[in-house]
Amino acid sequence: MAIIEQPVTTGGIALAAPVTPTKAQGGFRRPVSTTGWKSWLFTVDHKKLGIMYGVMAMFFFLLGGIEAVMIRMQLAAPNGKVLSASVYNQMFTMHATTMVFLFVMPMAAAFANYFVPLQIGARDVAFPRMNAFGFWCILGGGIFINLSWFLGGAADGGWFMYAPNSGPIFSPSHGIDFWTLGLQIAGIASLTGAINLIVTVLNMRAPGMSLMKMPVFTWLTLVVQFLLLFAVPVITVALFLLSFQRNFGATFFDVSAGADPLLWQHLFWIFGHPEVYILILPSFGIISEVLPVFAKKPLFGYPFVVFSGAAIGFVGWGVWAHHMFASGLGPVSVAVFSISTMAIAIPTGVKIVNWTLTLWGGKLRFTAAMHFAIGLIVLFTIGGLSGVTHSVAPSDTQQTDTYYIVAHFHYVLFGGAVFGLFSGFYYWWPKMFGKTLNEKLGKVNFWFMVIGMNMTFGPMHILGLQGQPRRMYQWTEARAGEGFFNLAFWNRIASIGSLVLSFGILLFLINVVKTSRSKERAPLDPWDARTLEWMTSSPPKEHNFDVIPTVHHLDEFFHRKYEQDPVTHEYKQIATAEEILADQEAHADKHIHMPSPSYWPIVLAASLPVIMIGVIYSIPVAILGGIFTVLAMFGWALEPSTAPESDFDPPASGESTKELAPLV
Amino acid sequence: MFTPGSKLFLGLTGFAVAVSVIYVALVDNSMGGAVTLLFIAAGTALLAGLTLFNRDGDVAVGATDAPAGAEQLTASLWPLIATVGFVGIVVGLITHPIVFLLGLIALLAAGVEWLVQSWSEGASSDNAYNASIRGRLLQPIEFPVLALVGLGVVILSFSRVMLAVQREAGAIIFIGAGAVVLLVGTLFALKPNLKKTLVVSVCVISAVGVAASGIAAASNGKRAELVAANAEDHFSHKDCGEEKNAHFDGTAQGTISLRSSVDATVELRDGKLIAHELGIDKATQTITLTKSNNATIIFRNKDNKEARLTAYLGTKAVQTGVVEEVLDCTQMIGKGHEQALTFKIAKPSMASVKPYTLTVPGLEGQSIEIMVP
Amino acid sequence: MSTKIRRITAGISGLAATAFLASCAKNAPQDTWQPKGSNARTIDNLQEPVFAIAGVIGVIVLCVVVYCVIKFRDRGQAMPEQTHGKPALEIGMTILPALILAGVGVFTFRTVFELAKTSDTQMVVNVTGQQWWWEYDYPAQVELGITKPIITSGQMIIPVGTKVLLRETSRDVIHSYWIPALNGKRDAVPGRVQTLRIDADKPGIYAGQCTEFCGLSHANMRMETVALSKEDFAAWVANQLTDAKSPADKTLAKEGEGVFLNQCVRCHQVNGLKKADGTPAIAAPDENVWAGAAPNLTHLMSRNTFAGASWDLLSQKCRADVWGASSETVGKKYLAGVSEACLNQTDLRRWLRNAPAMKPMYSDPTKLTPTNGKYRGMPNLGLTEDDIDKLVAYLSTLK
Repeated sequence: MAIIEQPVTTGGIALAAPVTPTKAQGGFRRPVSTTGWKSWLFTVDHKKLGIMYGVMAMFFFLLGGIEAVMIRMQLAAPNGKVLSASVYNQMFTMHATTMVFLFVMPMAAAFANYFVPLQIGARDVAFPRMNAFGFWCILGGGIFINLSWFLGGAADGGWFMYAPNSGPIFSPSHGIDFWTLGLQIAGIASLTGAINLIVTVLNMRAPGMSLMKMPVFTWLTLVVQFLLLFAVPVITVALFLLSFQRNFGATFFDVSAGADPLLWQHLFWIFGHPEVYILILPSFGIISEVLPVFAKKPLFGYPFVVFSGAAIGFVGWGVWAHHMFASGLGPVSVAVFSISTMAIAIPTGVKIVNWTLTLWGGKLRFTAAMHFAIGLIVLFTIGGLSGVTHSVAPSDTQQTDTYYIVAHFHYVLFGGAVFGLFSGFYYWWPKMFGKTLNEKLGKVNFWFMVIGMNMTFGPMHILGLQGQPRRMYQWTEARAGEGFFNLAFWNRIASIGSLVLSFGILLFLINVVKTSRSKERAPLDPWDARTLEWMTSSPPKEHNFDVIPTVHHLDEFFHRKYEQDPVTHEYKQIATAEEILADQEAHADKHIHMPSPSYWPIVLAASLPVIMIGVIYSIPVAILGGIFTVLAMFGWALEPSTAPESDFDPPASGESTKELAPLV
Repeated sequence: MFTPGSKLFLGLTGFAVAVSVIYVALVDNSMGGAVTLLFIAAGTALLAGLTLFNRDGDVAVGATDAPAGAEQLTASLWPLIATVGFVGIVVGLITHPIVFLLGLIALLAAGVEWLVQSWSEGASSDNAYNASIRGRLLQPIEFPVLALVGLGVVILSFSRVMLAVQREAGAIIFIGAGAVVLLVGTLFALKPNLKKTLVVSVCVISAVGVAASGIAAASNGKRAELVAANAEDHFSHKDCGEEKNAHFDGTAQGTISLRSSVDATVELRDGKLIAHELGIDKATQTITLTKSNNATIIFRNKDNKEARLTAYLGTKAVQTGVVEEVLDCTQMIGKGHEQALTFKIAKPSMASVKPYTLTVPGLEGQSIEIMVP
Repeated sequence: MSTKIRRITAGISGLAATAFLASCAKNAPQDTWQPKGSNARTIDNLQEPVFAIAGVIGVIVLCVVVYCVIKFRDRGQAMPEQTHGKPALEIGMTILPALILAGVGVFTFRTVFELAKTSDTQMVVNVTGQQWWWEYDYPAQVELGITKPIITSGQMIIPVGTKVLLRETSRDVIHSYWIPALNGKRDAVPGRVQTLRIDADKPGIYAGQCTEFCGLSHANMRMETVALSKEDFAAWVANQLTDAKSPADKTLAKEGEGVFLNQCVRCHQVNGLKKADGTPAIAAPDENVWAGAAPNLTHLMSRNTFAGASWDLLSQKCRADVWGASSETVGKKYLAGVSEACLNQTDLRRWLRNAPAMKPMYSDPTKLTPTNGKYRGMPNLGLTEDDIDKLVAYLSTLK
């Protein structure tokens, strides 16, 4: 267990000067590895955690992708026989759950974790151990949810888990129990992450960086964290009610006990709609970084992009019932939510206009990152406009729960969120790993993904408008219509498209492997970037910056590199990235004390699934898990966040002190 | 690395766990005993952790330079609280289990706090250091417990107040209290240099105020209509005989859960019964309900006489050969009041010799026929 | 924007629209863009301009992006002006979409309330969903000839040109009633009764599908609405009001009646069916099925689908004849029902042999603890081939 710090002597009183013990007490020492697996397991470094978030999200992306391909294979032909009805229902439930909660959210968290401190010139996040705890929670939650595949079947109620179909009568397997409790654990990651990043952004910005000099990615991440902070408690409550209904016989959604099943829908979508913006805004932030860099001009209308992001964050709370236009809310609610849904299209449209006008008059370099960013503008516009068509409530009653909606949100979430994340991969890879992903392969990757995505999801517009509902494990020729271009044809195209898309993603993985094998180092500033994260080495040192920069401009790094000639108004380079870095190293801070690694986050996170297993199978196990949790919390609370030097083994000869950041 | 004390407690933990497993496996699998044993295990595990952490209270392990007898004793409330706890236990045994429980909690808390305090005071001759190790050890428990207790008191007190006052007054209090909190919060935010004692005393006074009014309200009891509603059990009222109580909610349709699921309304006006089905504008004498599904009927009395609606829902066999009529009734309601009646008919009309009907007892020749296809 | 770009935009929009329309299926039964009733037409009149506006805006954005990509490619030009935007343009580009949406909003508002009206109802049908089929109860409506309630399932029959109000509810989970040609969907929520307006211009069969995920066999929960001319509707009503007649003694069908009384009547009602002692045989689905209901089979052969409208009772040829009939003849053909020659023996027998193998249902007797032994759906009855022969003979008498 942890060690109590050495006290400082307080002298000066008439009594004899108090004598204080010098030797530390306690049983355990802190983890000290700086290399090897232990350095990852017990790390609190935001960059290492960011990478771990990314790896985890990528794993679940592939898992969700395999589920998606299996769904498409089942639907490639009428009366599909690839999956049974039961497995199909599990498959689409888990596909959505995995993609939303275990891919897009943690991937956005990966970028936020890694780059927000760098973009605001901080050395780490505000609560480093909590950051580590969050990661282990979402990993544990993700694994926990997927355990259900091997323990009697996964959740089969759809990711929206409408009551009463999610109740113990209608879904007797343990799948939904695993789903509910796993998401509770994963939700902890969102909440701790949100608090952490909000505090970090508001309190730890470099001197001179006012809010309106903050990079857009950081801004939109901040908006997302506020959304999370308010949305996650809602789903937590809903999941809590559902757990109690399933495991302890409560009747919150039991109609025969007088409950109204629409309660669940309201709870779910009050979380669920802000969740949509939680998924998409980080990608908006990423391309708002990428577009200016490769257009060589600042983001057009920076304040408009920022405020429209905040506006989306606000209005996003007032539109949830547009998921329920067919539920029978009554005309007044339907009309009001219809109008508010149209209203949210306005700030979203503002963003599209600003990105397009950022391109206008620029000096565009078409790197792979830029390809994905422009792809996002076009594909998201399609998804956004199809969204407007069903904000019209009467029209939505024809479209909701058909493939048209599937097409809409895949254009928004795949064409939007995922393309933004891929743009981020190509843009920030050299910063994170010091090597540039192969550009040529990157562009091939882009074109396969763009074609595959349009082949998969494009035909779904037609399928939906011509009446094919969602979530059907089979479709029948009898309802497919006549002609060559009948629904059977489009179903087949969509299934082929899913393979093209998968190949595109495979190319990305090949690119990653190829790049990691290559010996070629990326230049320090490969894209001629504009923001602070590029002002340090690649990958950044553990303490990020040798000296905390003082910020004078939006796009500080650009302004350190370029200066406008007052006469000719032309920009000329006054410094290179290498020179700026060398200058920083020369003036490095003398003593940098970084947060210390800790055992407790992973120990505490590991105790949560034990409780959940106990809730499902046996209460004594849950009690044991609870004891374990309390002990881990106690250990955590006793441990000082920054360890004194005596807490560590003395360095081996010739080695620097392990915990102190090596001074250059 | 394990101290003798922690070994003892760890041993107890392991023993308790092992015994609980054996208990479940061999003696009784109803879990009650096992849970108790596991709680013992939890307690001993916690104690093991504590002793391990504080090295059996032997702070001076290695701290050889701390001179003996240089302890800096501080004033302590814990002996007093322990006494109060002990008295509470004794008094509680005689009077009320809650007093006993509170006494037990006080005694336990005082025991732990006292133990740790006296241990920490021997830690070194440095008071600040001693206070800090006491804090580090106990604050992780104290803060959550105090927060829980504080919040619990405020919520409980406020809810008692809201249950005691009239509905309209409740709304006003809620708005008023919210406004005051917002106002005070704003004032604090605008004046960040306010004296800490002032802020603390404002908070303490208001917390005490809320708690006091909560106690006052609780002793005063809930408002009359809530007491009545509790006694009435509105939705399960099925009695057709003597009225057992006089209270009821006069506007059943005002209940949100009913508003969207009323199949029909039945009105008694000028000695005549008429029905309106959802979605049909004209009045009718027959209503059609689906079988095997709960149907909700609203009965409105527009007559001067008190009346109730009785639903005849066929017969059921009580013993072989003996059948009994199945009846559902609303309460007796006066003019201008309404009542909801929810029932389920499992068999179609043709299964019943007499048709299913809605009637008002004492009103001849007036009935609404329920048809179930 | 220059005239040239405008012309290109218009061209591309036109092309895109044509391509989109050309790429659609012909006569897809659930097409949402081919309204066949006034409510669906109201929706269509609203959505068509919205789609057009969205399409034009989409094409404009696409064109501007493509223009930028071509025009502003890095050709070694000087570093562009580091402009941070033009507020006037920004505000303009915020107000413009707001105005467009406000326009759409006004029409949306009006349509929402128009579609929620119930005051002009001419006929009412109670629509009840359960896993995984729909029940239709017609309350007694003397002016329409319905002197006592009618119960049917799978196919709902309505007279043309009549404003029908559906009162939807559910016996278990949430379902959604959707006949795209006649109106948008409305969820059937347990514990609630919700209304949906429907009317059809012409006689015909209009297909639909449950559109709220309702568990295992959600995909096999279909429905059809059959619109008949007023005369044909009256004929249909007259037939539905009759009870089933017992088949003549010593026939295969009579033996089938015995099998039915032995097995099927536990859940399925046949009005007029009598037990051996002469008392009416009353089905007790409430004791055997979780939802408490099973389709009433009195006039099974007057419908041409079964098992949640998922399989045809008509053989393929006969089905094509009815479904492909013109609006003038469809009524007569539909009312002819399912004759011996037209009966789809294969699927019906397969169903009787082992229903859950055809349509996934919760009917494994070993897994019914959560429902206290009640089935969700139809179990495998373990009938012999002999029994099946008899049953088919009996069922085909239920005209």
